[in-house]
This record gives sequence, C-alpha cells and structure tokens, in this order.
Amino acid sequence: MKAFLAIIRKELLEFLRSYGLLIVVLYSFTLDVYIAGNGINLDARNVSVGVIDYSPGFISNKILSDLHYPQFQEPVFFTSQEKLNLAIRNKEIMVGIVFESDFEKRYHTGNNPVLNLLLDSTASTQSYLALNYIRHILMRFQDTSSLAPAEIQIHKLFNPNTSYSHFMALSEFLSIITLLAVILTAAVFVKEKENGTWDIMLLMPTDAKAVILAKSLSQVIIVMVGTFVCVGTVLFGIFDLPINGSLAAFMLLTFFYAFTSAGIGLFIASVSRNIMQVAQLSVLIMMPLIFLSGAWTPVYAMHPILECLSIISPLRYYIQGSESVFFRGTALIDLWEYFAGVIVLGGVMFWYGFRKIGKLF
Amino acid sequence: MRIGVIKAYFKKELLDIYRSKLILMVYIMPSMLLILFGYGIKTEVTHTRTLIIDNDQSKASYDLVSTFEHSKYFNSEVKNLSENRALDLIKQDKKDLIIIIPEEFEKHLLKGLKTSVGVYIDGSFPSRAKTTENYVNGIIYDTIMKRSVSKAESKALITINARNLFNQSLRDEDMIVPGVISLVLLIAPAVLSALLIVKEKENGTIFNFYSSSVKKSEFLAAKLLPVLLLHGINIFILFLWAIYLFELPFRGSFLLYTFSSLIYIIISLSVGLLVSIITSSQIVAYVLTLIITIIPGFLYSGMLMPISSMEEESVIVAHIYPVMYYTHILYDVFLVGDGLSASKNVLYLIILVGYAAILLTVGSLLLKKRIA
Amino acid sequence: MNRLQVRKVSVTYRKKTGLKPVSLEATGGEIVGLIGADGAGKSSLMHAIAGAKSFDGEIKFDNHIYSSPKEAEKVKGSIGLMPQGLGLILYEQLSVNEHLDFFADIRGIRQDSAFKTYRERLLHMAGLSDFTERQAGKLSGGMMQKLALICTLLHRPKLLLLDEPTTGVDPLSRMELWDILNDIIAKEKTLCIVSTAYMAEATKMDRVFLFEDGEIIDKGKAGELIEKVRPFSYEAAPEPFEKSITIHGYTYSLKPLKLKPKEPTLDAVFFINFIKKYGPIPEISIVHKDRDEDVPATIMEAKGLTKRFGEFVANDHIDMELNRGEILGLLGANGAGKTTFIKMLLGLLPIDDGELFLLGERIKSSDDRQILKAKIGYVSQHFALYKGMSVRENLRYFANMHHIESERISGLIREYANTLGFYRYLDVLPTDLPMGINQRFSVAAAIMHEPVVLFLDEPTSGVDVVARAVFWEMLQRLKDEWNIAILITTHYMSEAEFCDRVVLLRDGKKITDDTVKNLYQIHPDAHNFEDIFLDYYNSN
Repeated sequence: MKAFLAIIRKELLEFLRSYGLLIVVLYSFTLDVYIAGNGINLDARNVSVGVIDYSPGFISNKILSDLHYPQFQEPVFFTSQEKLNLAIRNKEIMVGIVFESDFEKRYHTGNNPVLNLLLDSTASTQSYLALNYIRHILMRFQDTSSLAPAEIQIHKLFNPNTSYSHFMALSEFLSIITLLAVILTAAVFVKEKENGTWDIMLLMPTDAKAVILAKSLSQVIIVMVGTFVCVGTVLFGIFDLPINGSLAAFMLLTFFYAFTSAGIGLFIASVSRNIMQVAQLSVLIMMPLIFLSGAWTPVYAMHPILECLSIISPLRYYIQGSESVFFRGTALIDLWEYFAGVIVLGGVMFWYGFRKIGKLF
Repeated sequence: MRIGVIKAYFKKELLDIYRSKLILMVYIMPSMLLILFGYGIKTEVTHTRTLIIDNDQSKASYDLVSTFEHSKYFNSEVKNLSENRALDLIKQDKKDLIIIIPEEFEKHLLKGLKTSVGVYIDGSFPSRAKTTENYVNGIIYDTIMKRSVSKAESKALITINARNLFNQSLRDEDMIVPGVISLVLLIAPAVLSALLIVKEKENGTIFNFYSSSVKKSEFLAAKLLPVLLLHGINIFILFLWAIYLFELPFRGSFLLYTFSSLIYIIISLSVGLLVSIITSSQIVAYVLTLIITIIPGFLYSGMLMPISSMEEESVIVAHIYPVMYYTHILYDVFLVGDGLSASKNVLYLIILVGYAAILLTVGSLLLKKRIA
Repeated sequence: MNRLQVRKVSVTYRKKTGLKPVSLEATGGEIVGLIGADGAGKSSLMHAIAGAKSFDGEIKFDNHIYSSPKEAEKVKGSIGLMPQGLGLILYEQLSVNEHLDFFADIRGIRQDSAFKTYRERLLHMAGLSDFTERQAGKLSGGMMQKLALICTLLHRPKLLLLDEPTTGVDPLSRMELWDILNDIIAKEKTLCIVSTAYMAEATKMDRVFLFEDGEIIDKGKAGELIEKVRPFSYEAAPEPFEKSITIHGYTYSLKPLKLKPKEPTLDAVFFINFIKKYGPIPEISIVHKDRDEDVPATIMEAKGLTKRFGEFVANDHIDMELNRGEILGLLGANGAGKTTFIKMLLGLLPIDDGELFLLGERIKSSDDRQILKAKIGYVSQHFALYKGMSVRENLRYFANMHHIESERISGLIREYANTLGFYRYLDVLPTDLPMGINQRFSVAAAIMHEPVVLFLDEPTSGVDVVARAVFWEMLQRLKDEWNIAILITTHYMSEAEFCDRVVLLRDGKKITDDTVKNLYQIHPDAHNFEDIFLDYYNSN
C-alpha cells in the first residue's frame, strides 16, 4: 500500500513538473472544450437568402417577411438568375428563392402556385433544415391547420431548445478524456521502458501488478482532476449544462472509463518501444474505437457486423452512459450495462498488460 | 541551398520513416480517417427506434402506423403502453421516438375537430433530434392532408419546387468527404513534421545540424520535403477513395485540386514546424499538434456547418484559420467545378499561398541553429 | 597553419554558468586534452568552439573571428564535433554505409576516387568493413563510437572536437579509436581537442587543460602536471593522516609527510586539487547493518546459462559463481554479453538454456524470484533515476518501493547522504548534478533495503577520477562491513584490480575466470590489467 501511494505521488510530481504537458492538459480540458461547444451549431441559423422576384410582389413580400432571425438573414435581392447562381457558388447565399411572374396570379386563382428554391447543398444538413423551415412558413402563411385540424405536439425530451453547445461540449470533453487517458498512460510506461527504469521497477519487491495499477491510477487521477475542472468551469460554469441524472454516477462512470482507457494506453505501451510507436498506435487504435462507439452514428443504425464489433469499444458504453446521465436522467440502476461494459473491457486490457510487461522471467 | 545536402537528409528521412514503420502512420492514418469518417458521419437519420401507441385503432391510425412501418427512417413497433412507461423506455435509451395517436383520432379528423398527435423525441443528440422532428412532421402532415384536404383545396396550396445545387441527392458523402480530406491533410503532415524535428532534438542527432555547415534553409527543406512528398501521395490516395469508394463527383480541375492541396500540406507542416520549435519532447509535440489541429480542422472544414451560418465572432475566427479557404476550394473542385473562373477561388488560393509563405517564414525565423 | 585562439569565452545556460571566461590557444597537429570533473565546462567550451551554442567572448580559427553561432557558420565546414554520448549523432535505423553517405553529403563532399579510398581506409581502421550493411541500432557501443568518429572525420576537418569519445567503450575499441585519431592527425595535421575520463589517454596528449567549476585551473603537458604534484604523493600510509587522502595505494598530502614518495600518475592531479579546494575526502562509511549469517556462501551459481537472439548467441553456456563477501568483475568488450548475462540473472530476460541458482534456490520461474527481490540490489547502466524528482524524492520513492517503514525513511536518507557524501545535493534534480553524485545516490537507492547481493552494470562510465575512487572505497566498505556479494561490469581496466576475481567474456563465451593475482602470474609481461585484457582479446 505504501509503495502504491509512493508511485502515485511520484507520477503526479513528475507530471506537475513537466510544464509543457501540464499546459497542454489544462488547455484540453478548458479552452479546447469551450471552443468546441461554442463553435459548432448544426442548426440552420442565419441562413443567407437571395431572392429574385418577377411577381408583382404583394404575396412574395408577405412570405419573405416571415423569413427572419434567427433562422434567416435579411433577404438579398438579385436581378438575374446568373447573379444569384454566382452568389450561391461563392457561398454568399445558401438559399435562393425565385418567384415567377405568374406566381401571384396562380396563388389567387388556386392554380398550383409554385415557389422555386435553389439550395446550396454542399452543406446538406443546413439546406435540408432550411427547406423545412420554409415549408413551415408556407404552411403557417396559408393556415393549413384550418384545413387539417390535427396538430402535432412535439416534445423534445432532455434538450427542448436543441442546444448544440451542450451536446458538442460534452462530446468534445468525452473525446479529450479518451485521448488523454490513453496517451498519458502509454507515455508514462514507455518513458520508463526507454529510460530503463522499468527494469528497476520489476525488480522491486512490490508486486508488478500493483506498480502497473498505481501508475495507471496516477494518470486516471490527472484525468479526473481535469474532469472536475472541465465539468465545473466549462460545462456547468459556461455552458450551463443541465444534468438530469446523478453527477456522482457520472463521475463514477468516468473514473472507470478513464481506467479502461488507461488500460488501452497500457496495452499500447506494452507493444511499443518508443514514443513514436505510441503516437502511431494510439491513433490507429483510438479512431476505430471512436467510430464504433456510436459517437457519430448510433450503434443500432450500423451495419450488423459493425454493430457486433461495437461491443469492444469502451467508448460506446461511456458515451451512452454519460448522455443518459446528463440528458436522459437515467437512474443509477439502469446504468449497470454501461458500467459492466466499461469494467469488463478495462479488465481485459489490464490482464494483457500484466502479462506482457508486468513479469520477470 | 545545396541540393546534395537536401538529398542526403531527404534520403535519410525516408529510410528512417520506412524502417521505423512510421510509413504505416503516414499511409494508413489518412485513409483510415477518411473511411471511418466517410462512413461514420451520417446526417441522414435512419433506423430511429420508434414506439407507436395507437389509442384509436381506426383506419386512419392504421394508415399512419403503416407509413411509419414502411419508412426506412424508422424501426417502429406498435405497443400499448402507458405514456409514463413509454417515456421510461426513452430514458433507458431503448427508444428514440414515441408517437401517441389519441383516441377518436379518425373521428375528429372526419369532423374537422381538433385532434393532437403526441410526439416525444430523445433530444440528447440534437442534430438527430432535429432531423427526426422534421421527418415525423412531414409524415404525419402528409397523412392527415391526404385524408382531409380536397383536391381543389390542395391545388390552391403553394408547392415548393426545390433544386439542390451541386448535391442533388443530398448525399452525406458529398458533404463529408471533402471536409475529411481537409481535416486529414491538416493533422497528418503537422504531426509528422513536428515529430521528425523533435525526434532529432530528443535523441541528440540534431548536433549534426548544429555543428555542420548545413544551412537552416537546407535543414528545413530536408525535414519538410519528405513530409510534403509522402503526404503529397496521400492527395491522390484520398482522391481515389473519394471518387471510387464514396462515388463523389469531380467537377473541377484536378490541377487546382493538387496544387491547392500541396499548398495546404505546406501550411500543415509549417504548423508542425512551429510546434517543434517550442517543444523538446516527442510526446508533448504529438499531443499539442493533435489538439491544435483537430478542433479548428473540424469546425471550419464546413463538414458540420457552413461558415455563413456561424455567429459573427465565429465567422471572424473562421477567417483567421486557413482551413476555410482550402475547404472552399475542395468543395468547388468536387461538387461545383467553377475552378479559377470564380474570383473567390482565385482569392482563396492566393490567401493559402500567403499563409504557407508566412508560416514557413515565421517557422524558419524562429528555428535556431544552436543549443537553446 | 590551423590556429585556434579562444579569447575570454564564457557560456551561460538559462540559469547557471557553464563556463567562466577562458582563453586558450592551439595549433594544427596537436592533441589537446580537456580533463576535469563532470560539469566542469569541457562540453560547454567544445559547443562554443563548434558554434553550436551561443557564447560571450571571441574565437579565432582559420583566420576567421567569430563570437556567435551565426558567425561560426563559415568555419563549420572545417570543424568536426562529436558530442558526448554513445553514438549520439547516429541514426538507429541507418546502416553504416548509409551513415557515411549521409555525412559525406551533408558536408558537401565530392564522392571522387580519392574520397572513396579515404572512406575505405576509415572503415578499415574502424574495423567496420565487414559491417557496412548493419544498422547503427544493432552495433555495439564501441562500434557505434568508432562509426561516429569516422563520420566526423569524413570531411577531413582541420579542427576536431571530441567530447569523451571513449567513455563507455571497451579497451580494445578505445585503442582502435586512438589509432584512427593518431593516424589522421599525423597525416592531416588536424588540431584535435579531446575530453576524456581516462587519465591514461590524457598522458599521451600533447597538452592538457584541467577544468574545474567552469575554469581552466591548470595546463601543460601531462608530465608537467604530474611533476607539480610529485612532492605530494606518497606510498599509502597505514593510518590516515590529517588533511590527506589515502586511496588506491597512494597517500596524497599537501603537507610533507614522513612517508616514502611514490611516482604519481595523472590521477594524483585530481586528488591534490581536491584537497586544495575541499580538503580531504570526507570519510566514506557505511550504515551499520548486522551481518546475517544464514545467507548461503554461494550467492549465485550459473550453469551453462545461454541466451540467443534469433541466430545470434549472446551468452553461450556460461558457468559462473558469485560468493558472499566477494567483488566479482565482469569484463569484456562492448557486445560481449555482459549486460545480457546480468539481465538473465535478474530475470529481465528469459533464460534460453542452463540452470540458475540464487541464494541456493533453483530459479525456474518468476515466482521463485518474488521472495528474492528483497535481497537483490541493482544499478543499471546510465543510473535509471527519475529526472523530474530531486535526489531526496527519488530516494524516498525507492525506499517506499522497498517497503521500508515510513518513520525510518527520513533518517535513512540522511544517513546515506551523509556517509556517501551527497548531503548537500539532496534537494537538487539529478539532471543538474555531476554524474559522480548521481552514481553514488543511485547506489544508495539500490542498497537502502540492505540486499545481500548487488549487481552493478557499468556504474563508473563517465564519472570523474575522484568520484570513481570514492565509489570503489564505498564498494570495499560494503563488502567488508555487510559481507555482501558484488557483481560489477566496467570498462576501466584499472578498476579490475580492485576486484577479488575477474571473469572475462568474449563473443558471449567465458574465456577466463580467475583472481587478479593469478592473472598477473599467468601474464608476467603485463604492466597493467589493460595488457592482460588485450592479451586475451588479441589471441585467437
């Protein structure tokens, strides 16, 4: 136990004295998460609209007056199709609206009035959303609800205002935990291998398993401190992230997950000879794990083979678990699957690490 | 600059990269990222796990249910549960969407009385929630309209004739793949060039540079050219993936693609150079490079959102990073095809060249040919 | 004529002074030696001359005057620097040939026939002709240094700066290195500035400069330096005198003593200087420990130990015994298999063949080692210490790892620091300390748990004369007072004489195993142990 604490103390001391690493880690947990949360908004906002109006303009202006902030920018009028096209190509305009000369007549006579839209779909998400906004605007404009009395009551659970910053900040934060826990741990072990101190560690009367666990735990502690800082200042402080479940459950899950990631780091370290190899392997191993985790596409929407493979990605359990705690407010008891997944995978990693570098001959 | 010196270093770097198996990272990482992201990021939302509670059990409600059942966007299941039980399923992440059809749904519709369909969406993944919302809205409205609006009435409604320029079928790949190319070409060369220089610092072989008459420019050229060459090949590999695996159109000039990509790689490796100047250990250089390239690479690649719909401050920041300019050209060569006839492309290309020149100059000015 | 003038050159690092203003002059064809303790400023001076570090003052070489690395650019073409560290300037992944090509190209050498002949000659002299395709990472330490040297010589520099080129190199390779140097200098009239930790090498140089604390405190021919200390060297006194040092069969004293004078070596210069500056070496003593008598007389017994790396046999059926109260020297050229052998003993490498007994127990698996761990101490090459922690923190860490009770640790650290003489460095980081101090405190780290056997792998490489002498004193005390067994490898043949018994390895095979005394009897012509070593290595 004493040796165990001594190792943790030593690792933390060494970490605190390598200022470069300290600064990088601090940056990752604060500014980096802030930038991610602040910068990305997948919503269609501020959509730039270009208009060519060949119609008399009474109806068209009424429609256009409904395109407003925050979804749309003030429409810009163009005199010819070419100019509008050019503006779209230059990404100055995302949505072009063309009112034909007979638009108003057809509208009044009920003879299939058509609104022409030109969408820059190099940004397909936003174009699609913009199209839907305009559809809604038209429906409201023509008061279709009087025709069809059904209303759709949509409740978006857990995130009623569709805030992207919450989601993106949380996602970035989860990625940072993964990245740092894996690389920091791998580096700690490989550095000892490179310097020859690992041999000495193996010769200590302290059990090598305890040494490995303690070293990993020290990096987990660094990550956990980063987690507290990040959750406290950035997630809660700046982004005001709501939490519907228990913070303690999240912290516990994070702790286990960090340990499992450290296990991946240990695995990488045990098959690498130097930092260069760590750098290569960590990318080659982490990216597929992130891919399989469902961070981008939910696991259930994957190809069945990939869906099967995804059970080996600890990030899968962690992401689902964290989102459940923060957004869905899932009860602790219902999180057991995520805990189990993370812990089992971590166990496998450490088992391999113990066998590979934790033994004398 | 003496060609012999550069050639010698060049050859040494290539041998070193090859024998230390770094070559794997050079060629596997970019392709792997492209394939993973290309397949991994979908804006189209399919297989939404849907629970429909049909409290009406009428013709109209069956119609609605069957529309959901036949849609590839939804994996629907009809079950009679209480609202609370159903909500628990969302909480446990078993369902993403719950649709509750009220009693007397059909009756109300026929009589033109108010009726309301309840929809619950898991909003944890905001973009998916938004898209799901739109799909659901569309399906329900269409079904209702079909039942309750007469032909004459429907003729009077404004229809939308939307044309998607450049990406007719709204394919995700068309949007994601150019973005990933720009991301990958920002990260990978930066990491490699940073590691190549810091490695010499850490191992002590940097003395060969300090103590010989090798000029700073020669050393830089020798360190950066292999990166440019190796990743230059990636320009073509990534191109082939994009065209043949992801079936992207290629409407622009290949020359412009290659040239702008090369310039972009120079920018990226200059970032690596700058990192290598302020760090002396490989691990710090590595993590630092990753962190300072991934986020801007993602944000301003246009993969997730167009610059034009960003907030004002973000728009300014986007203009500071080189990512936006290159991405613009990439989307042009793949999807638009205006090439240099569009003045904006010319301007952006010039800006990229300027970036490369500035970063490279700053890097070489800061690089010191002596022990710190 | 290549003439080097160094005028009031000083070097500062971020916080500390590396070199106080020094001046010196030298001309082509000369071999100038820089000697002095680790951190005395030798490397700083070389880096300054090579234009690899900014400095104050002025250097003139080859009719160019420079006072910054930038101005030094014009002379760099005629300077060759080989920095300190085994194979430091080599690239692990490149082969010998590729290195020569690389260095020729970065030096802008025309690859004409004259160059090719020169290159062949260098390869031949370095004994690397048969290894041109081998990668540097797979060369032995001695070969690496020879390769590094010929790479530095490739452009026929007029000024050669070699920073401890022979440290960590075996006697044979060392001799070959000097042969190359002497040959080149004679033919090319190169000015050669060499720093060395081997005083025997310094005696052969034209002039030596003695460095201490960033200053040159003495200079002249080795003979002249020795002459100055002649009055202070005596045959070893049976009892210690006030203000004197008695070590390795000598007594050094500034005050005249009634002892028989003894012909001093260059080592004496260091001891005399030490006395002048610090007084006598503080008495080294060892923390008291009760002798445990239940330890078997034979600590380690190896029977036919064999290690193979693929085709290559690193250890070929080696039999060896190590007894309690014995210092066993394990000698051999770089790559002869010394480190491999120790690693097998410790369990850091699997044993391919043979039997190993430790403390009377047959070792079959790692489980058998678990209980023995507490009885073994190990100091590896390059003293594996944690660079981010002070000496005290390092020691505390190791003490904890050895399960020493917390209450005892502070006292123990103080005791060891006092007795081994590094008390005032306790709160300094290892990177800021001379090697000699690091060496002593890594031994402290290895013996705090009072082992019965100590394995030391090249603990004295790169350590200065006085520190080395103190180190051996310490080992003797350990042996005498704790009655422990010590297995040590070294490249200083003079140190072999302090061992009770010596085992010589060559190409993975044991070629002799005998007491030092017997070996001298077998080789009556040998002046010193180096001769004996070379005898074994040169005979087929």
